[in-house]
Amino acid sequence: MRETQLYGDVGTKRITRRGFVKAGGALVVTLALPAERLLATPDGVAAPSAGEAPTTLDATKVASWLEIHSDGTILARSGRTETGTGMSGYYAQAIAEELRVKPEVITLVLGDTDRTPDGGYSAGFLTGMKNVRNVAAYTYQTLLELAAKQLGLPVSSLGVVDGVVSGNGKSVSYGELVKGQELELKIPVKGELPQPDATKWVGTTSLDGIEVTGEPKLRPVKEFQVIGTSYPMPATPDKVSGKTKWSCDVSLPGMLHARMVRPATMGSTLISAGAVDKKKFPTAEVVKKGNLVAVVSPNEWEAVRAAEAVAAGTKWTEWAGLPGTENVTKAIRGYAWGKADQASGKADETREALAKAEKAISASYEQGYTRHAPIGPFVAVADVRADGSTMVWTHSAQSQGLRARIAYMLGVPTDKVVVRWLEHSGQYGRTTFGGDGAEADAVILSQLTGKPVRVQWTLQEDLAWSSVSPAWVSDFKGSVDANGHLSAVHSAFYSPHMTDPRPLGALLAGMPAATSKPGGFADTEWPYDKITRLEEAYGMPNVGVEAVSGGLRGNIMRTPGQRQQCFALEVFLNESSAAAGADPIEYRIAHTSDQRLIDILKATAKAAGWEARKSPRIGARKSGSDTVTGRGVCVIVRSNAYWAGIAEVSLTPATGSLQVTKFTIGCEPGKIINPRQLERCMKSGVVMGLSEALKEEVTFDKSKVTSTNWSRYKILTMGEMPEIQVVTISRDDKGFGGGSEAANAVVPAAVAAALFDATGVWARRIPLNPEYVKELLRA
Amino acid sequence: MASELTLTVNGAKQVVKAEGDTPLIYVLRNELKLTGPRMGCGMAQCGSCAVLVDGEEMRSCVTSVSYAVGKKVTTIEGLPAVWAEQKHLAVEDEAKALHPVQQAWIDEQVPQCGYCQSGMMIAAVDLLSKNPNPSVAQIKDAFTNKGPSPHLCRCGTYAAIIDAVQRAAAAMKA
Repeated sequence: MRETQLYGDVGTKRITRRGFVKAGGALVVTLALPAERLLATPDGVAAPSAGEAPTTLDATKVASWLEIHSDGTILARSGRTETGTGMSGYYAQAIAEELRVKPEVITLVLGDTDRTPDGGYSAGFLTGMKNVRNVAAYTYQTLLELAAKQLGLPVSSLGVVDGVVSGNGKSVSYGELVKGQELELKIPVKGELPQPDATKWVGTTSLDGIEVTGEPKLRPVKEFQVIGTSYPMPATPDKVSGKTKWSCDVSLPGMLHARMVRPATMGSTLISAGAVDKKKFPTAEVVKKGNLVAVVSPNEWEAVRAAEAVAAGTKWTEWAGLPGTENVTKAIRGYAWGKADQASGKADETREALAKAEKAISASYEQGYTRHAPIGPFVAVADVRADGSTMVWTHSAQSQGLRARIAYMLGVPTDKVVVRWLEHSGQYGRTTFGGDGAEADAVILSQLTGKPVRVQWTLQEDLAWSSVSPAWVSDFKGSVDANGHLSAVHSAFYSPHMTDPRPLGALLAGMPAATSKPGGFADTEWPYDKITRLEEAYGMPNVGVEAVSGGLRGNIMRTPGQRQQCFALEVFLNESSAAAGADPIEYRIAHTSDQRLIDILKATAKAAGWEARKSPRIGARKSGSDTVTGRGVCVIVRSNAYWAGIAEVSLTPATGSLQVTKFTIGCEPGKIINPRQLERCMKSGVVMGLSEALKEEVTFDKSKVTSTNWSRYKILTMGEMPEIQVVTISRDDKGFGGGSEAANAVVPAAVAAALFDATGVWARRIPLNPEYVKELLRA
Repeated sequence: MASELTLTVNGAKQVVKAEGDTPLIYVLRNELKLTGPRMGCGMAQCGSCAVLVDGEEMRSCVTSVSYAVGKKVTTIEGLPAVWAEQKHLAVEDEAKALHPVQQAWIDEQVPQCGYCQSGMMIAAVDLLSKNPNPSVAQIKDAFTNKGPSPHLCRCGTYAAIIDAVQRAAAAMKA
């Protein structure tokens, strides 16, 4: 815990004059780093050496967060990264709002461990935005004081527009104000950068990194000029023109390209590695450590071909420790669960209500394994120098967590490792804990070869060996009153380990890989305050955990835990609503007094043209070659945001072919930061949710994953996307909520309810592919 | 054995030393430093590596460099020049203008992570060269059923892509 003096204490502010102009222009704040380090390009030119300068910034200094240049431009630093949903835009908007500048003048440095102070994981954009917003707010007050002194006016008489402070007919720009000055402003922080800790559920001490505390004066919501506007995402133009440097583009002098030769099964150990045919592949080499086998070459295509040849000649032991896809939920049910790892709600009241219930309803839900499955497989570059200092170029969603894990694996102090972040394919949660990825492979191979190494996983490798969103089962029981309303609900959620971020490279090489505490993962924000509830979550180790690779390493995936538990809860609500003969939207409203939920549900229903009636519809049928249609609803409350989804489907019972013809999604996330990006994220979230509802499942036999290409791990195509309608409500009085995640979560239960509406048959498992739907309708 | 091959990439003659069976993507990315095409599946199942070869979309992860000899290869870095040539723009205007498809991708804020979008824009240019006024159904068909596989986006930006293709179509007619 680091607490420092509060801003406002005059003793913590020192304004000094030095020759900043020659160090690249005047700035209000400065870093104790040589300019060439700051200018080091992601392409690896002038790559810094960890150890030649401090590799960790002091978060108590505003200088570590913000630079205001004499030309009016601003550089801001955050340890969080962009994962594609818009953080880089939102952060710029928040900083611009507090500093009263245009967001266009702000450049962000994201996720570089030596150039950003706070760490933290990318999905936690609310906490990340709070940090940069607080820093900007502290800085703004200081700038006002500087201006007051310079203009000879009281602070209270000053106003700022676009970085120009004015009052009483006089004005001065931030650029003029800071010219040739250094401001040593200290701010209060708490927390720490992460260190491996196996007793923690994420395997490290800290997920949020360092938090900026105190209560700086923030701009009131009613005065917002930038937040609430559709500021364009700053990274878009370069991504579109081809100028963006992606992590897969990093190229270092003398760098080797590597392709991994993975074990024959998840649990195989190496008997003997194949040899390189030097006539065919003159510059390729086999590199191995434990069960980690790779082929390296200065030429990428040679590495690809030589790795294929070496793989064919490599011998592995046999292993068969997986249950097979068709048995996985049965295997989970067969586990000796013992006590729940986590429980919330009113246990005694719920149990008593259920024991006394005159009428009860119960159902069980389940889903197999799914996975993040980005279009771009893992890639990383590492350079382990002779002095033990290590550079890693990554697209991980948590650079400081990755840095700590790499240091742990190498057995060196964290300060020896520098992680630089670049854009790449979305991660959807798999690197939130800083573990899964190609970085450990690259570091090990660089250490063994003494050269910089770039490791590019193949798609087959990624779909077989990256971490997965675990299968689960969930049991629901509810007591029903005379009106058919639920008075108490008990839910139990059972899943293999869902937060195992150990890097595959370390596991296979037999190097230290920080573990995490396995356990249940329940994080539902209960939407129905009129229902007494008890939720329990139970965790078990990974399936196939005894394999040298750790088995199916469970990891979180977009809207983690809540997504799966929302499916179970919301299908259960739809089932009990149908049993009561009620309209499912009216039924939900009857079970909550939360006006925010009621408002978004009603607005979404109105947009979808929803007319109240019970389900299934008149004319529902489960056979025949003519199509039947249906509609269904789902809600979720998450991170101060309220969501509703309404699916409309068309189904051919004879073939099991289920088309979602329209999806209406509503969201009220408090104050909307960026309306257009929210709309984009809502629509894309629906696509991801439909993909999971209709298509996705990881398949495996007893030895290995078998869904290892896009024709076996199927995701939604453009042709399968329905019309998507978006409804949003922005409120000024409820703070900010999470508007990117959760859009996917409202889809599957709405689709299952629509299937019921059309056929009278409940689907308590996804995906609803034609084979499964046919099987359901035949039963 | 590696031999010297002459390619025309984004309008410029390039001599590269490579084995003839090297997939074009490795030559573009590693030899010519054109990083627009990105490695996805490596087996023509996703579209992230798409480039234009003589104006037709091809998957550079499965197209050998020898196939491209004597043909015109275009990556997203070369799209502004394609448009400039089509519209007979002056050199100074060419430097300023993106291809209308690229501009539409910015205006409609299509990319999320953006990894697949290079291939998506190539597919859009290909489609609009054949059908200057595609309907939503035709756009969906082109991105799903044409070529060796659907163009896949895991972030789920399909709706934005449809908006952008229609915006680009309007801009190209103007």
